[in-house]
Amino acid sequence: MAGKAGKQSRPRKAEKDEEEQPLQAVLVADSFNRRFFPISKDQPRALLPLANVSMIDYTLEFLTSTGVQETFVFCCWMSSKIKEHLQKSKWCRPTSPNVVHVITSDLYRSLGDVLRDVDAKALVRSDFLLVYGDVVSNIDVSQALQEHKQRRKMEKNVSVMTMIFKESPPGHKTRCEDDDIIVAMDGKSKRILHYQRAQALKKLHFPMNIFHSGSDEFEIRFDLLDCHISICSPQVAELFTDNFDYQTKNDFVRGLLVNEEILGNQIHMHVTKDGYGARVSNLLMYDTVSSDTIRRWIYPITPEANFADQEGQSCTHSRHNVYREPGVSLGHGSQMEENVLIGRNTVIGANCTISNTVIGANCVIGDNVTLDRAYIWNRVHIANDVKVKQSVICDNVEVKHGVVLNEQCVLAYNVVVGPDITLQEGTVLSMHHPDEEDDEDEDEFLSDDDVGYSKDKTKQKGSCSSYLIMCIDDDIMFPGLALNPDPESDSESEVSEGSHDLGSHPASPELDDVKVFQNEVHGTLQRGLDENISCDNLVLEINSLKYAYNISLKEVMQILIRVVLEFPFQQQGAQISTAQYSSHLLPVSLLKKWAPVFKNYVKRPQDQMDCLASMEEVFLERETHWAALVKVLMSVYQLEILEEEGIMRWFKQSSTTGKSQQLRRNQGLLKFIQWLEEAEESSEGDE
Amino acid sequence: MELQAVLMAAGGGSRMMDLTYNTPKPLLPVGNRPLIWYPLNLLERVGFEEVIVITTKEVQKALSTDQRLKTDVKMRLDVVCIQEEADMGTADALRHIQQKIKTDILVVSCDLITDVALHEVVDLFRAHNATLSMLMSKVHEFTETVPGQKGKKKAGEQRDFVGVDVTGKRLLFMANEADLEEGLVLRKSIMRKHPRMLIKTGLLDAHLYCLKRSVVDFLVHNKSVTSIRGELVPFLVRKQFSKSLNSQNATEDTEKNQKQQDAHHNFELLSTSKDEALLQLARERSCWNDHRGDMSEAYHGGKLRCYVHIMEEGMCYRVNTLAAYIEANRVVPKLFEDPPIHPSAVVSERSLVGSDSIIGPSCQISDKTSIKRSNVGTSSIIKEKVKITNSIIMNGVTIEEGCNIQGSVICNNAMIGRGADMKYCLVGSGQRIEPEGENGVAASTDPLSPPPPHPFNFSTSPPPTFLSSLSSWTRLFGHNL
Repeated sequence: MAGKAGKQSRPRKAEKDEEEQPLQAVLVADSFNRRFFPISKDQPRALLPLANVSMIDYTLEFLTSTGVQETFVFCCWMSSKIKEHLQKSKWCRPTSPNVVHVITSDLYRSLGDVLRDVDAKALVRSDFLLVYGDVVSNIDVSQALQEHKQRRKMEKNVSVMTMIFKESPPGHKTRCEDDDIIVAMDGKSKRILHYQRAQALKKLHFPMNIFHSGSDEFEIRFDLLDCHISICSPQVAELFTDNFDYQTKNDFVRGLLVNEEILGNQIHMHVTKDGYGARVSNLLMYDTVSSDTIRRWIYPITPEANFADQEGQSCTHSRHNVYREPGVSLGHGSQMEENVLIGRNTVIGANCTISNTVIGANCVIGDNVTLDRAYIWNRVHIANDVKVKQSVICDNVEVKHGVVLNEQCVLAYNVVVGPDITLQEGTVLSMHHPDEEDDEDEDEFLSDDDVGYSKDKTKQKGSCSSYLIMCIDDDIMFPGLALNPDPESDSESEVSEGSHDLGSHPASPELDDVKVFQNEVHGTLQRGLDENISCDNLVLEINSLKYAYNISLKEVMQILIRVVLEFPFQQQGAQISTAQYSSHLLPVSLLKKWAPVFKNYVKRPQDQMDCLASMEEVFLERETHWAALVKVLMSVYQLEILEEEGIMRWFKQSSTTGKSQQLRRNQGLLKFIQWLEEAEESSEGDE
Repeated sequence: MELQAVLMAAGGGSRMMDLTYNTPKPLLPVGNRPLIWYPLNLLERVGFEEVIVITTKEVQKALSTDQRLKTDVKMRLDVVCIQEEADMGTADALRHIQQKIKTDILVVSCDLITDVALHEVVDLFRAHNATLSMLMSKVHEFTETVPGQKGKKKAGEQRDFVGVDVTGKRLLFMANEADLEEGLVLRKSIMRKHPRMLIKTGLLDAHLYCLKRSVVDFLVHNKSVTSIRGELVPFLVRKQFSKSLNSQNATEDTEKNQKQQDAHHNFELLSTSKDEALLQLARERSCWNDHRGDMSEAYHGGKLRCYVHIMEEGMCYRVNTLAAYIEANRVVPKLFEDPPIHPSAVVSERSLVGSDSIIGPSCQISDKTSIKRSNVGTSSIIKEKVKITNSIIMNGVTIEEGCNIQGSVICNNAMIGRGADMKYCLVGSGQRIEPEGENGVAASTDPLSPPPPHPFNFSTSPPPTFLSSLSSWTRLFGHNL
């Protein structure tokens, strides 16, 4: 019903005053991927606690603070839990400035499905924000929104989306290699020209058509983190409907950029320097964003602010970023070094060392426990002498005496571990058998990433009452926390490139060009002959070919000579006799016809020398036709293409090869030269 | 001596053959001075006392006889001649004079006219201990109509893609559009080091380079490199990001490869000069690095660095095309405060010479003549009732009475007959245009619209000499006389 009303009123209202529409947002509370498996088996990702507050609360807080007045939350997996959570939260209170509608369907399989539903139900009236339920941010999007509207006004419906990025150069903590992107943009208009995930690429490839936009300044940026916040126009939803193969945002962006010329839709970007925006897209990001929260990077969203306004969650903030909720008891000799958040009613034993750690509510932690970069959720029991490094421990887990968790371990819900066991790096323990998951929804989720996810389906027996899922491809869980750029692997290709840099580079392409050029010139002349094209036009054509193949003037002349001299061979076959050859080429027919063409290229004395040299070259290759050379020379002389001086100079040139010396001793040629000399003398005599 | 200046003045000016047919490019008059004066002046202004000039015999002769140039240029010119026929590239020329090169060098092309603060380029070179630093400028749009050129300027010329880092100084990438058919490819490792790369097109390479001495040694070892701009610079830019080849296993044993490796090896060795150790130490002790985001050492350990100074404002022309030549002539007089009319010129009081025009030495300008926005070269004679606008008259030209010349270029020693009317024409040197009635009047269509295909229409049949100016563009030339 609401949908119908919206559809009818849309056109009228939109024309009137788009400005006054309340800002809307679409929040997708499902990740459509399995990066948090097996944790997300029991709890949807949006509800996972991050610094003891559900992630969706961060997202809603961000939306509200940036001025969103109406939010549509789309849920699929465990939608009832999300609905329940939201109904209890402050967002559903009557005083909330942000009206939250929850829309659930089991049929959503991707972001595309959600947006198609948005379009079908006609939920959005004007520009809206599109976010995921796991985005943590304090960015003020109003400026980006302003820019977006400005662009939409300037050129109606051309720019459909503005993506928001955060500047974070490589090596930055909140960057995870998994989500590396490379963006090419227009320097002035901030238009995105190319968008690519760069994770597995060694070389970044940009098609040339992106540089044809008429701008003269482009920027290629590898220092951006996609915040997964985008300002979309209602067209975005329509475009998803039109293109039912768009599943993810990636599909959409790529599709739009590729079809930019056809559809005319553009995507722009906004880069924030100071704001914080990140999507908790995997456990590495979970680790990073949690610690950023505790270190107050997301101010004003800090743990003690209790923005979710939940009872009993208010905590105190003391030096070194130590936060304590009410009812925490700390045993004798226990130390909270720095960046620690402890939930309400948690009891910590004696002589514990805790740093960079979040502990949820109602946990019991024994004596002599060392916790570093541990994320411990609610109602967890940890016995004495346990060591935990950089691991996630979910609700209701029991860790027995003497257990050591090395880096990047995950203990999913209700797992019991121990006693006296050491878990290796990257161990994941869960109560769900890996197989049961596979049968159910193998292809169910169309994730934003195509990364596979392989599991070692061994069942570890012994002291654990759970299934062990070894994460072989531990890039997914905790992708090698130290970012290791691979300069070494780059070097190989560099070396090979370097070696051919100088030597082979100029040779091969040039050769081809010259060859092609020669063929083209031949074709041109042939056509000129057939269709009786004037020499002026032939020159024009040859000139344009010259530019097309980037041939120097000298080469043009050489090739021209070669083509003309070989013309009879081409036409009559290579076997023709000298007499035939010369009759074919001589004054009446070809040479005379093309004389203007030659004259255009043969101007300076140097040109004449080059011209003669290439003539010589041609004839050296065809010894049998030497007799014709004289005739050719004679006719070019008569046609005033070459001057006596040039010919004399060429003749006297000390030739390098024996063959060319032989050529110069040719009877006819000698006669011709003699004749020339005499003519010269006589002409001098005249003067 | 920190830098030795090398002036490349042996180019033939192949892109403006019409002008350079009889006058070598360095001697073309621009604002009544030979073109070569401008780079020389640029060097002199910043205090160079000596410059190596690589040029041809012809130019050398002219240099030694040109009195004005002698008085204008105080620097010692060390002129090295190369054979015109040898077809030497700029890198070949450097190789040719390598004996003379003792320090790092500053290479300038003879067709550069600029008011750049040269220290900007040299400072980059010094501050970063760079291997190469060069000068670029925004391309100027030429507004003037080019004589004898058909239609607008050729569109779709190949653009140069220049990639610089976020400071706009470090040169990361350089390629011509022609070589990028497959698309632009960058290695991720470069992006990792310089995550923000600005790709600029529409830049003019001023052909002014500061080069380390080791580069000259490298050239001596690598004879295949012939041109600085065409081969050496792109090579250096690429080389910045490749690993040193010393560690490579020498088993790749084709002879050529080996040879090249040796060359690289040499290059690598030579680029570490004697005070390198000290610099290294300084860098280790300092907390400075040239990038943000991580704490790795400055320049990411690269030894070879290329920088570029991009002029945002100011003037920078390379006089290598007819259009640039005309534009330079129009703009240059404003830069140098010479008296617009040379004292030795004889200008009739009853003539009108605009303040935006310059008149060269020993010119004669007769009565009732009007000259606007034009340059008139040395010893030219302009008779009565001549009207000249927007034109360039070179040296020793005679213009008979009653001519109307607009937007044209008239080369040395040409003779324009009585009553000629020319618009957007190019008259070759030594060319004679016979007086009205005998040889024809140039009539042209509306000059404001893009130049018509044939701005020159002769009312009578043109004499045979004109026929032989073969170019498809209408020009008046005597090349084949």
